[in-house]
Amino acid sequence: MKKGPINQSHPIRAIRRIIGIFFLLAVSSPGWAAFSDDAEKPKPEFTRQADRIVAKLIPRGKSTSVLIQFHTPDVKLIGVEGVDFDEAGQKGMDAKDFRSALFAVKAGGLSPGGEIKVALSSNYFTQATELWVLNRALQTPWMNANAMNTERSDRVQELVVTVKDGGPFDSDGAVNGEILLVVGPKDSFWGYALGTLLIRFFGIFLVLGVLMAGMILAGLVFQRLDRRAEASKAAPALRPAAEEPEETPEAIDPETATAIGVALHLHLCALRAAAAMNLERSDGSSWARQGRSQIMRDRLLVHDRAGRK
Amino acid sequence: MTWEYIGDLILSILFTQTGIPNLDLKQVLMLVVALLFIYLAVGKKFEPLLLLPIGFGIFLVNFPLTPLMGYTESGAPDLIRAFYKYGVEWEIIPCVIFLGLGAMTDFGPLIANPKTLIIGAGAQLGVFVTYIGVLFFGFTLREAATVGIIGGADGPTTIYLTAKLAPQLLGANALAAYSYMAMVPLIQPPIMKLLTTRKQRLIRMRQLRPVSTREKLIFPLIATALIVLLCPAVAPLMGMFMFGNFMRESLVVKRLTETAQNALMNIVTIFLGISVGATMQAEVFLTWKPMLIFGFGLLDFVVCTAGGILTVHVMNLFLKDKINPLIGSAGVSAVPMSARVSHNMGIKEDPNNWLLMHAMGPNLAGVIGTAAAAGMFIAMFH
Repeated sequence: MKKGPINQSHPIRAIRRIIGIFFLLAVSSPGWAAFSDDAEKPKPEFTRQADRIVAKLIPRGKSTSVLIQFHTPDVKLIGVEGVDFDEAGQKGMDAKDFRSALFAVKAGGLSPGGEIKVALSSNYFTQATELWVLNRALQTPWMNANAMNTERSDRVQELVVTVKDGGPFDSDGAVNGEILLVVGPKDSFWGYALGTLLIRFFGIFLVLGVLMAGMILAGLVFQRLDRRAEASKAAPALRPAAEEPEETPEAIDPETATAIGVALHLHLCALRAAAAMNLERSDGSSWARQGRSQIMRDRLLVHDRAGRK
Repeated sequence: MTWEYIGDLILSILFTQTGIPNLDLKQVLMLVVALLFIYLAVGKKFEPLLLLPIGFGIFLVNFPLTPLMGYTESGAPDLIRAFYKYGVEWEIIPCVIFLGLGAMTDFGPLIANPKTLIIGAGAQLGVFVTYIGVLFFGFTLREAATVGIIGGADGPTTIYLTAKLAPQLLGANALAAYSYMAMVPLIQPPIMKLLTTRKQRLIRMRQLRPVSTREKLIFPLIATALIVLLCPAVAPLMGMFMFGNFMRESLVVKRLTETAQNALMNIVTIFLGISVGATMQAEVFLTWKPMLIFGFGLLDFVVCTAGGILTVHVMNLFLKDKINPLIGSAGVSAVPMSARVSHNMGIKEDPNNWLLMHAMGPNLAGVIGTAAAAGMFIAMFH
């Protein structure tokens, strides 16, 4: 067997060398700075469309942007802004759970102390999406708004929360006919990560399983076609052979005779060699075994990655 | 003109136009890393086709003030930045490499034994285990996906996915993938021994049936249709792979096939290697992340190998003609290195047990499986 390109007598040394050098590099690095960079922080952009405001943003764990629509059905929607999660103070909360950012929704024109409904809709939300409200004036700043989550006919989920002027969800804290709602759609990060992971792992089995079924089916069809083609080739060949006169030794040309002679000689030599080496134990004739060994050796050369030119 | 003026001029030239005063310790460390990889490629013949240009790329960009990976004032990319931008950032080179790989691949062993596709799927286990593992260390979902795919042992797929999802990790991921691919003969055998008994290693598999030219010709069409229908995100990679294979099997475009196999493949390999190496500038590369990527990359390879072998054990519970579990490790791609490892392990136990062609089946299935995993990840972030 041809030796591989790697010095196998010291297998661990190579791994050690690489890991060692990287350890040195890591020690000399500026620490865990890279981990504190929030590369995926959503940066929403807002546009007004009639009485609605639409936020366009790339959520955490996505490469493409999504749209979230804000709407206050009964009163005027004054504006919506993005709120930085770090600045909002995330005690007890994980920014990763708020994949589509925090928003400050401002609405006005309601009677002081009155109630309004704030609706957030997006095809990015799921049935498991919750709305969490932040009010820093309270002892427990984070609250589950227990929003009503409904699926619309256009495959868009709508989350509706009722907010009372001056109530716990109103961050301005005053009964003034205006509402400031700091709210964020929340999905469990680990639930999503693990759930999607399992689905996708079995997805690979599904893709390759379907391909396997397709190949087995195609294989059966082709084997059948090939057998039929061989049978139709063989059948007409037999019939005229019976009608033709037998081939006489004089009809064989000298080159063919030489080839047959050489083949017989090689075969007998191989038998003698095999007998001498006592290789008779395995299946097949020695001629077949030698041929197979030669073929496999040639194949190994083809698969010699290092030696490939 | 005074001597003082001349002195100032010399100092100014020295500091702004030469590299020596601008060389810092981090760059020196990166130069050492570059020399290490060049040594591994040249001296130890570790994946020299890739590690040599990558090593030289690292070497080149870690000298100060080099106009290689930046942009000019007019916005035109510097030399290697242009290779990177149009080749890697635009995701062209990995797909062209897949075209060449397709043109080089004989799918015969896989077509003759399609069951081995399931082994290729099982060997993706490490991809997902690593994905979860690195999430615990603060990697983002996208970064975790690109680190996970290292265990698929498929360089172009790793580069393709990383360039798409987390380009900041391109250098570390590519280096880890190619380094561990080169070390497959060292990593896999102990796991193979651990997870198999001698009796299992002695299993002789039935001779593969001959595959007709017609069947080989139709395979890329069927495979493309099914895979792209189920996982459209993988179409760029799988489409080019199967296109290359279709050219090969059609036997009517030999010139094109030969170009894809040789000249084109070699050209893009040069540009890919040097571009990937050039992403490893000291200020980007010297963090804990590459260290973790290397650690998890190794774990990834181990779990993928184990996943392939365990899949064979499970399959053998249901199959009449048993599969030798040694070929399970070939389910990680690393074509054809891991198939050779399976073969070598097999003949160590029984010199007449030729497993190479049997192992090529899961090996090729691993390529498809890794591409499918990449497609799943891409789809996940859309």
